[in-house]
Amino acid sequence: MDRPAAGASYQRFPRVRIRDLKPDFAKFELRDTDASMANALRRVMIAEVPTVAIDLVEIEVNSSVLNDEFIAHRLGLIPLTSAAAMQMRFSRDCDACDGDGSCEYCSVEFNLSARATDSDQTLEVTSTDLRSADPKVCPVDQARAYQQALGGESYDPNTGDQRQVVLHLISLVANPFVVLSCLVHFIPLLLMLALGRGILIVKLRRGQELRLRAIARKGIGKDHAKWSPAATVTFMYEPDIRINEELMETLTLDEKRSWVESSPTKVFELDAITQQVTVCDAEAYTYDDEVIKKAEAMGKPGLVEITAKEDSFIFTVETTGAITAYELIMNAITVLRQKLDAVRLQDDDGDLGELGAHLGGP
Amino acid sequence: MAVDDRDDAAGKEVPPPPSYRSLAAPVANPVDKFALLPAFLKVRGLVKEHIDSFNYFITRGIRNIVQANNRIEARNDPNIYLRYTNVHVGKPSVQVDYKIEEITPHFCRLTDRTYSAPIRVDIEYTVGKQHELQLKRNVLIGYMPIMLRSYTCILHGKDEAELARLGECPLDPGGYFIVKGTEKVILIQEQLSKNRIIIDTDSKGRVIASVTSSTHEIKSKTVITLDKEKIYLQLNQFTKPIPIIVVMKAMGMESDQEVVQMVGRDPRYGDLLFPSIQECASERIYTQQQALQYMDEKVTYPGAGNQKEGRSKSILRDVFIAHVPDYVGNKRLELSGQLISLLFEDLFKTMNSQAVEMMNRNSDKTRSSPSDFSQLIKHEAITSGLERAISTGNWDIKRFRMHRKGVSQVLSRLSYMASLGYMTRITPQFEKTRKTSGPRALQPSQWGMLCPCDTPEGEACGLTKNLALLTHVTTDQEEGPLMNLCKSLGVEDLTLLSGEEIHAPGSFLVMFNGLILGKHRQPQTFAKTMRKLRRSGQIGEFVSIFVNEKQHCIHIASDGGRVCRPLIIADMGISRVKEDHMKELRDGIRSFDDFLRDGLIEYLDVNEENNALIALYEHVDQDDVERSSITHIEIEPLSILGVVSGLIPYPHHNQSPPSFLFEVKVTFLYNVLQLFRADSLLYLLVYAQRPLLTTKTIELVGYDKLGAGQNATVAVMGYSGYDIEDAIVMNKSSLDRGFGRCIAMKKYTVMKENYGDGVSDRIAKPQRDKDSVLVKQNMRALDEDGIAAPGQIIRNHDVYVNKQTPSVIDRRGAGALLRDREYKDSPAIYKGVDGETTVVDRVMLCSDTNDKLSIKCIIRHTRRPEVGDKFSSRHGQKGVCGTIVQQEDFPFSERGICPDLIMNPHGFPRFDISFVIFKYLFYLFINFPNLVSRKMIELIGGKAGLSCGRFHYGSAFGEPSGNADKVEDISNTLIKHGFSYNGKDFLYSGILGHPLEAYIFMGPIYYQKLKHMVLDKMHARASGPRVLLTRQPTEGRSRDGGLRLGEMERDCLIAYGASMLIFERLLLSSDPYQVQVIFEVVCEFPFGRGWNCATADAVVLGSVCRKCGLLGYYNHKLKASYRSMCKNGENMAKMRLPYACKLLFQELQAMNVVPRLKLTEG
Repeated sequence: MDRPAAGASYQRFPRVRIRDLKPDFAKFELRDTDASMANALRRVMIAEVPTVAIDLVEIEVNSSVLNDEFIAHRLGLIPLTSAAAMQMRFSRDCDACDGDGSCEYCSVEFNLSARATDSDQTLEVTSTDLRSADPKVCPVDQARAYQQALGGESYDPNTGDQRQVVLHLISLVANPFVVLSCLVHFIPLLLMLALGRGILIVKLRRGQELRLRAIARKGIGKDHAKWSPAATVTFMYEPDIRINEELMETLTLDEKRSWVESSPTKVFELDAITQQVTVCDAEAYTYDDEVIKKAEAMGKPGLVEITAKEDSFIFTVETTGAITAYELIMNAITVLRQKLDAVRLQDDDGDLGELGAHLGGP
Repeated sequence: MAVDDRDDAAGKEVPPPPSYRSLAAPVANPVDKFALLPAFLKVRGLVKEHIDSFNYFITRGIRNIVQANNRIEARNDPNIYLRYTNVHVGKPSVQVDYKIEEITPHFCRLTDRTYSAPIRVDIEYTVGKQHELQLKRNVLIGYMPIMLRSYTCILHGKDEAELARLGECPLDPGGYFIVKGTEKVILIQEQLSKNRIIIDTDSKGRVIASVTSSTHEIKSKTVITLDKEKIYLQLNQFTKPIPIIVVMKAMGMESDQEVVQMVGRDPRYGDLLFPSIQECASERIYTQQQALQYMDEKVTYPGAGNQKEGRSKSILRDVFIAHVPDYVGNKRLELSGQLISLLFEDLFKTMNSQAVEMMNRNSDKTRSSPSDFSQLIKHEAITSGLERAISTGNWDIKRFRMHRKGVSQVLSRLSYMASLGYMTRITPQFEKTRKTSGPRALQPSQWGMLCPCDTPEGEACGLTKNLALLTHVTTDQEEGPLMNLCKSLGVEDLTLLSGEEIHAPGSFLVMFNGLILGKHRQPQTFAKTMRKLRRSGQIGEFVSIFVNEKQHCIHIASDGGRVCRPLIIADMGISRVKEDHMKELRDGIRSFDDFLRDGLIEYLDVNEENNALIALYEHVDQDDVERSSITHIEIEPLSILGVVSGLIPYPHHNQSPPSFLFEVKVTFLYNVLQLFRADSLLYLLVYAQRPLLTTKTIELVGYDKLGAGQNATVAVMGYSGYDIEDAIVMNKSSLDRGFGRCIAMKKYTVMKENYGDGVSDRIAKPQRDKDSVLVKQNMRALDEDGIAAPGQIIRNHDVYVNKQTPSVIDRRGAGALLRDREYKDSPAIYKGVDGETTVVDRVMLCSDTNDKLSIKCIIRHTRRPEVGDKFSSRHGQKGVCGTIVQQEDFPFSERGICPDLIMNPHGFPRFDISFVIFKYLFYLFINFPNLVSRKMIELIGGKAGLSCGRFHYGSAFGEPSGNADKVEDISNTLIKHGFSYNGKDFLYSGILGHPLEAYIFMGPIYYQKLKHMVLDKMHARASGPRVLLTRQPTEGRSRDGGLRLGEMERDCLIAYGASMLIFERLLLSSDPYQVQVIFEVVCEFPFGRGWNCATADAVVLGSVCRKCGLLGYYNHKLKASYRSMCKNGENMAKMRLPYACKLLFQELQAMNVVPRLKLTEG
């Protein structure tokens, strides 16, 4: 990639166009900037936007089949509504408490008490059994219930219908890789949400009991993935597809069809009437080069020219439900700005150290 | 053996020619035949051969042994006797305070007991002077360890729910013993078969033919050697080898012509025999009488000189049994039943002879009324004998000259596969150290019987083998009825025939289990009839009928230890198993045994396979094989592999190094009831998954229920440089979410000793001061009873059992309780890793067999993967975690897929030369598809599986029968779901946001965590303990040892010239010592007189006398060096040398060698 000479101005004025915005899904275009900017935004969204997650578990009684650490780990991975996370304090920075969890600025207490009574049925302990001390912070699937309990005034991350969340999560099944890469994070969430029963923590047989106190704290995804609000944050370069119409006209209908079908994703379309090949969905193109190879195999190199527009990106953002996609993006920008401010403040001190060398400045 | 020489993959698709198809009109689809495999395993289980063999012993073998030795009598009065009339093995039980309690295997495991059942006999014996006959029933003669899931085991025939109630895992196959709480498998032993003549050369290069004979009374070895062209017979009963012709004459063949005629009329035989005949003549032995006399002189028998007459005759009759050469070096597999039966036979006989001994002693001592035998039968010997042999694995049976070590082994419970692997393992008869390649080579006769892949690396390679999936090992079958049957089918007794008739052309010799039964004039008809009888179930299904055209023999075998496997019978190449049979099987109307009974399937052993022509698939046309000559069809080609190698997907695509199969066994266990077990070390994977790309074997053995790994999304690319040498890069977020997380559980046992007189250890509650604060901080894990409480966090140096031991043990005058100060603390202190949080999982209290309280604490540690932990895919691709990287730094695709780990493409399995050879071998039988690395196929197969929501299969040789998905189909699935056909994706760099310049091969691969974890291995020390003797740092992690600067490291430093560093490392940091040397080298003392060491209080530093070069000492009273020999302090020098060096000098002096140090002024 060409880099401008040292000292040149990098300043650009990026534009954002939001295409789709759902509570936990967003698709937007980021234009007139370069990969470093887009990637910085992506990285911050994954790793540095704070949320709240269970961090400390005190187990009173646990006679379930899963051991204490196992349950603690599972509890940690339950996404909690974290709209207030930006305003909360990190436990390590909090001077109002000594980190024992009874502090309103840095922590939220949860209680869980479940016991399988005499029935022969297996009792499923789920996130709905978690009792939060602060109605603002609760498992994401309970947000609605809490909201109703509070008379509809409180903030609800799932502003839309919960069914929509469920549907959306089901649609994730269609993309199994997401499920796979967010292995533990998602499967219970998915199944239980789809059934509307909360996130499964453990199953209890008759006579077994689980009683615990948990403290949720603010944190960032860099420290542990449980604090990452992002399920998927990804971007792609916008492809620029130019079909050589003249060359295309030399193809027969069958050749056109086989060429169109050579793309694993549906990028091109063959109009049945006009027999014209058109680009129907440029963004479906995965830079797989299949159509180019096909064209070469057909003896028509240069049939199509595909380049990536290096200054425009299409972002796809999905959240775990801890915060809305909108908040995720906005918080990410805030965090990014804070980080840049930190650099700039250091710059004012005139002591950039090694960083100065990297920035290429004086 | 069927030869399947088909064309390449393309050829498979071509439908067979029409004529062929019409011939095979109702061809059963080969896919459907697969249902036979689960049906087979359902009937037989995975370790049926062990259980069958043990069942045979319990029901029949033990009875035969007792019957054969059923009468014991006093030597001086045969009227005093005891006779065993019946024997049976009861249910596993234990006698506690005169009460018999039934026990479960799980109870035994937890309480360190032996899972054994009483052996009871019914006896009749004489009492008193009048020898009145008395009967007694159910007399205990010992306890027999019981194999799990055998007839006598309480688990026999239980369903899953009942098993769970008994604390047993339903997937556990059984087939092992529990002795003193540990699970022991008796490995399958490979043996040369008994009663067969084996031709070999001995150490002196002589040709020998040996026969090991075995009956219930006696086991002997007969050897015939060829020495200087003369043939001799060697028997242990004779002091010297006997010329063979003498033996012949002793048996009644007085004329040489008769001898030659019996051997065969061919003049060659005559020539060969000539020197032997000549020798016999030179000894002047012409008649039977003379021959017997000659032999009698050579008989060895302890004592009984007068009985010598006629001994040789009985030896000839009983011991030396004639065999006709049968050169087949057959192998027999000895299973637990046979081995235990040997052991029991020996112990039983010992018990009886001891009883006789006692009886004699009694009657010698007292002339009063003789005691009866029933009092002399002691059951301890059998109980402890059996227990000892199984728990140590040493089969030392003098009676049968058997000295074997390592017969039984501890059943590895590290992973489910490891346990299964133990059950199918066959230990070799050969010494492992022999460097021969012959017995290690893959034998064509192993096909379908023994797994071609599953063998360990290293010295036992090729010797230790594993059974294939469908192999059955036979047990003994009743011989009498079969022999009678043969006779009635026209076998003529040899005794009725002359030598001439025996060698008549066209007639075949009939051999039954290696014995000559007789001759048959129409061998083919005879064999056909026998087989027909077997198929109709008239004779046992494991009886083998083998026609050996070359040797003009028909071998009928019904003995135990033969390997055999089921095959579908084909008439003129048409399978007998039809679609409707399979439908019945699927509907559950028909079982595998019905197939056997209806003559659709039969078992063939290795010998009989030579008479069969076996096709792999029915629907495949054979190029050079007449279809009508095909007699059998394979059930499934994947059954040529064993249980463990069946786990590998697409094993036929590239080589599987034996190391991998070993690695499978070191991955984690996921036993259904693991949490109730008390293994000394147990690793569990927290979120175990079932592989996305499975094989049929995986499903058959239940590995999908006990998964030991996780499907990781793997990107194959270079990343960060921390991925060299097969290292992998892991995604931190994946680890946060539970990838590779495991639980390690360790058992710590504390015994509460009893010292007699009511004095014993005690468990004290933790001491607290008046504010009830613990006095000692390391007791925080303890409960009020002084034992660690379950759920407590326990750290390094914490006490888990606060035990106190009485300080005076041999206190006389019992009764009064010991006072507190008479106890001293001897707490059990947990030794863990600093900074790690471990938790007490469970505490178990039980009393062992000696009524001592044993406290078992199981301490649990949850570990997440860290740098240096070892992982492996299913392709022998082990690698350590090189670095852990944040998710945002990982590459991602525009779909949002981010890999869990990154593997370097250099790590892809390579095709090495051994695989080429392997492939060539198998090309003879099965054509190979194109050589795509099977790891790559696993990846795209898994990816396609994810896309379309179906588990994909990669069974061995499964493509033609549909048990493995073809690469083309997988690619099509991928394309359908918008992926590239070759499994490659377009990725962006997570660090820069740029697209990566290459397409990255990415998809799920099943990864397993191996037990080698850094946490258990990391070790370093600055200063620490030293060995008392040499004063050098200790060795090894367990002793907090130093890190050795070895010879090679030293060489480097020498080469580098870093003398100060060497000095510092080898002396100062190890064992520096100062000695006083006597300076000049003047030898005043006679050599080798020894050197008197100074008294201990005087020696602090050694000194060397300058004069004699010996070591002196530093006398602290005189504050001067002193020499012990010269008795003064002159000419002393100080020098530094390693303490080990000083020690060496002194040790040499102790051996009368004087080392002298020559010192020069430096």
